Amino acid sequence: MNLEKVVFGFFVVLAATLNFGFFIGDLGDPELHNVYELFAAVVVNLIATVLKFGDRTQLGAVHLSTSLVASLQLIAAAVVWTYFAHAVEGPITAEQTATVVSLSAGALFANVVSVVLLVVETVSFQRR
Amino acid sequence: MARPPLPEIGPHLSSAGVFLVLRRMRVPLVVLIVIFAVSVLGLSLMPGQDAEGHPARMGLFDSFYFMSYTATTIGFGELPNDFTAAQRMWVTLAIFLSVIGWAYAIGSLLSLMRDRGFRQALARRGFTRTVRRMREPFLLLVGYGNASKMLARSLDDMGRRFVVIDNKETRVSGVEIDSYRADAPALLGDARDTGLMTLAGLGHRTCAGVVALAGDDETNLDVAMTTSLLRPELPVIARSNSRDVAERMRAFHVWEVVNPLDRFGDHLRILLRSPAAYQLMIWLTSAPGTELPERFTRLPHGRWVVCGHDQYGEELSSDLRAEGLEVTVVHVSGGTVLAGEGDSAHVVESGHIDDAVAFVAATESDTTNLWLVEAAKRANPDAFVVALQNRRSNAPLFTAVGVDFGMVPAEVIAHEVLARLANPDLMRFLPAVPHQGDKWAAELVDRLVETCGNSAPDLWRVTLDDEGAPALTDRLDGESLYLADLLRDPGDRDHSLHIVVLALFRDGERTMAPHSETNLRAGDTLLLAGRLRDRAALTTTMTETPTASYVLDGRRVPTGWVWRRFTKVDSAGAAH
Repeated sequence: MNLEKVVFGFFVVLAATLNFGFFIGDLGDPELHNVYELFAAVVVNLIATVLKFGDRTQLGAVHLSTSLVASLQLIAAAVVWTYFAHAVEGPITAEQTATVVSLSAGALFANVVSVVLLVVETVSFQRR
Repeated sequence: MARPPLPEIGPHLSSAGVFLVLRRMRVPLVVLIVIFAVSVLGLSLMPGQDAEGHPARMGLFDSFYFMSYTATTIGFGELPNDFTAAQRMWVTLAIFLSVIGWAYAIGSLLSLMRDRGFRQALARRGFTRTVRRMREPFLLLVGYGNASKMLARSLDDMGRRFVVIDNKETRVSGVEIDSYRADAPALLGDARDTGLMTLAGLGHRTCAGVVALAGDDETNLDVAMTTSLLRPELPVIARSNSRDVAERMRAFHVWEVVNPLDRFGDHLRILLRSPAAYQLMIWLTSAPGTELPERFTRLPHGRWVVCGHDQYGEELSSDLRAEGLEVTVVHVSGGTVLAGEGDSAHVVESGHIDDAVAFVAATESDTTNLWLVEAAKRANPDAFVVALQNRRSNAPLFTAVGVDFGMVPAEVIAHEVLARLANPDLMRFLPAVPHQGDKWAAELVDRLVETCGNSAPDLWRVTLDDEGAPALTDRLDGESLYLADLLRDPGDRDHSLHIVVLALFRDGERTMAPHSETNLRAGDTLLLAGRLRDRAALTTTMTETPTASYVLDGRRVPTGWVWRRFTKVDSAGAAH
């Protein structure tokens, strides 16, 4: 067992699960999307991105790019949420929630690709 | 035949630096992100209260804002509400954590910047980029020792570009210190590595040749082989200190092999035969603008004493014997300066220096050469003393000890290589000079000084064909164009240009210093010496039909030369 691989896999999967946790639920219902979960997803995604730095293989490059996409989308979601929650008067509405959640849905897709890559890498490694 | 493929250098070598930074910064960046996230989260969860005393947490956004300006030590101090004790405790902890995080991250980055491997990767990246962007022809110099340095300086003066590769760090940084006019990329590495040679531009479109002047023969041989196998069309000039290696190099069709020790013998032979030829040779192979070197008096003919290491002493003495001299060889055991059999009394006695006419100190150590000369001078003050000066910086010592003729191998190499690179035709001319006799050479030197002045002239070649001389094509039948006419001044045809014709090459035959009545034919190649101004004038004669008709036939347009410039029709009429 390789500790580096454990840490790497842990963060990649955790990034996807947190992202999924935030995304799941009715798109426009602010009650169903906890902002702390979004915060955790952003942080874990950033860590996963940094962990993928400096890998020269083709697979490593695709890993890094999917992570960059996910982080970018989640940060966009966080910024949009901050704007609606703090800069706009009144409580957050259904349309505003839907915008934030759909941005995180895009990130979820990138995270799924990441996980698929992880699985492909693992499987092809064992075959050798 | 398809060209053999060059080793792939790919992006992995050139972008190694970026990857190294990213990989080394992984842990510090993760630590920083975790610290920041924990601080923000903790601050947003700490119980707080607003101005009226109602419980009010800070929220993620406000915490993020607060931590951003605190962690980066900007410290605005703007708060939504005053902190409670719990919040203050958390902020204290967060400040210390973030200081540690930043110190760690910046420290890692700084130590990475000072890391040797990283800097080398960066340097290599910059080097690769510079070489790839070269648009002009350039030479690949392998090794950056004394000879290379002199060669590089002359090349730079002539406006030629070059790339240096050497395996010593001090020498590579020396390239930068020597500050050339044009950018001279230098790479640290072993030239025996074909990948590095490719990086240095072996496969580059505008690479014009390879010059291997490294200190050890093995590297030079390897470079010569690599080049002739991968880029057979490129000229290679390699240095070698031994005959065996030189033979192996020639087997690979190396263009030219320069053996400095071998050349020492050759130079002595030329000098013995004709001091003027030697003077001419040295002058023409030095960089343009060099002053005319002094001419040696005739060397004494009689018994010579040669003092050198085993094989080399023998070679040198056989060179001298070929010139009809009587030679005594004294062996000095290699390397050891204070060897018992090598002490001065032994040398003086076994060589009978007291009644010799000349003494040659030709070991590979300057210290040995110096004390040999000193001993010889004491035994026989009248003898002509020749010494091999291995290091150029030791030249004052040799002058002080009273050497009559000293040869610096580095200088010889630089001269020879430069002459071959600058003008391949010069090498078809020079070897024939000593055979023309001392009087001929002396006359040629006088003529050169008379026409071109006291500093070394520019040398160039012209080929009389459709491409090189389009204005002369109808006259090149071998009967109607005299050499003297071609060299008339386009400004005033009663005067001649300050140009000396060194040689005429026709159908593989060579005429040394052809006389002015020579008839020129299509396909002739001339080796010329002169000033740049006259070179430009001659080019005009050869390429512009109106100028040619004035220079060769004296046909003037009545309105004068200036007026003809304004009326293009007239000049065309004068041409046909």
